[in-house]
Amino acid sequence: MKLVSLHRKIERNSGLLIFGILVVSSIGGLVQVLPIVLGDAHGAPAAGLAVYSPLELEGRDLYIRESCSTCHTQQVRPLLAEVKRYGPYSRAGEFAYDRPFLWGSKRTGPDLARIGGKYNDDWQRMHLLDPRSVVPASIMPAYPWLASRDADQGRTIQARMRALQQLGHPYSDQDIAAAPAALEGRTELEALVAYLQSLGRSMAGEPQP
Amino acid sequence: MADMPSQFWAGWIVVITVTSFLALVWLIVDIYRDGDLGGEVKDELWDETLREGARPAPVWWFWFILALMAVSVVYVMLYPGLGAYRGALRWSLGGQITERFADYETQFGARRRRILELSFAELAHDEETMRSAWRVFNNHCTSCHGRDAGGQAQQFPDLSDASWQWGGSEVQLSETIRAGRQAAMPAWQASIGEQGVRRLADYVLALAAGDDGSAAQAEGAGLFQQFCTACHGADGSGNPVLGAPALNDAVWLYGGSRADVMRSIAMGRNGVMPTFGGRLDETQIRLVAAWLSAGAKVPDER
Repeated sequence: MKLVSLHRKIERNSGLLIFGILVVSSIGGLVQVLPIVLGDAHGAPAAGLAVYSPLELEGRDLYIRESCSTCHTQQVRPLLAEVKRYGPYSRAGEFAYDRPFLWGSKRTGPDLARIGGKYNDDWQRMHLLDPRSVVPASIMPAYPWLASRDADQGRTIQARMRALQQLGHPYSDQDIAAAPAALEGRTELEALVAYLQSLGRSMAGEPQP
Repeated sequence: MADMPSQFWAGWIVVITVTSFLALVWLIVDIYRDGDLGGEVKDELWDETLREGARPAPVWWFWFILALMAVSVVYVMLYPGLGAYRGALRWSLGGQITERFADYETQFGARRRRILELSFAELAHDEETMRSAWRVFNNHCTSCHGRDAGGQAQQFPDLSDASWQWGGSEVQLSETIRAGRQAAMPAWQASIGEQGVRRLADYVLALAAGDDGSAAQAEGAGLFQQFCTACHGADGSGNPVLGAPALNDAVWLYGGSRADVMRSIAMGRNGVMPTFGGRLDETQIRLVAAWLSAGAKVPDER
């Protein structure tokens, strides 16, 4: 068969051309994306990885609301200098319960993938409310409103957990029932600090690299 | 290899990759066989009266594309990419960083092990070593303790003075960095009342000023004997094992004003030094401890 004559035919028939483009452009996705989404090679949770508690989950959504990932990444790349500075490089299984993942793409501030436990809660609170109080040269904005706002003002924590449950996150019905009580009387500041303190904990104690 | 696809998906990747590759080769060779390469500009009628000049691709383009295809075949033979096949070079990202760490060990291993053997005094003697120690401190510790290790925000202790809440010996300093510390000063407001807090604060302030026998402090002295001596000692000299600071000196972590001291007594203090054992290796811990022990002198920037 003459492929060149087929080419003439395709170029003169827009319906056929659209179909051809869809077929060809899907090949990359079929090879690179589909095996990851449907297969189990990359989706298995890392050993020691726990789902986010209601408070941490609320903190994660605040991290998204305040656009923290504009300036902070959450991925330690497999480079000597990064492993030396931040700890073991990030593995796929660490992000099994991150929907969406918050890897980010620009480091105006430091990487936060292994920030959990590096500073105590007091430092995290002071730093969020007024970064210059503990890091004089910091250019990070202050987030004073976090301290005066209650966590989960929209009362949506159960709906959010149910959505994740349907996507396969191992939340039990009791977990979801108890969630509002866990957020009762907590501020947004406490939620965000709880989330930050959870980051990278599943890899704690892993030997380098 | 945990990150390799399972058998089914490996087959899936191989079949689609090889099929689409062969189809591309077929297409390119077909264009060549058509004899359409390198010819003159042809006047093509596209749709009724729509005309366009079409120049055929040059011959070098054909060989160029074919050469690129050959390169891609060599690539998937050498590197992972075709299903679960790992490639002849057995290259992996994890393997690459392991190699980098091996190079690092070759370059610095002996020097790093030597740091573990030298005494703090010997380490402090070497300017270059202290510069390295300062870099580790600057990277991991300054956010809380400040760039000059002078403490910050009436929360994070001054490490450049001779006062050590958890002890200043080699072993104690290293252990504080390695395993972290959790202080536990209870809140006394409920037990001794506001009046008690005030009297106790006055007594402790007098103690710090070196005046512990004054009759005016009698009531505070009684409270101190009753509630504070278990941790802070009868003379207020503290106990590094419990992290109970000395109260008979002028060093105040949480502030030395009457209001600060009253707040400490009334509400308690529960300072936390995080664990750095997982973040710093033994060489780095020893470097920082030695630097602190030698007075935490910030070297001149070069």
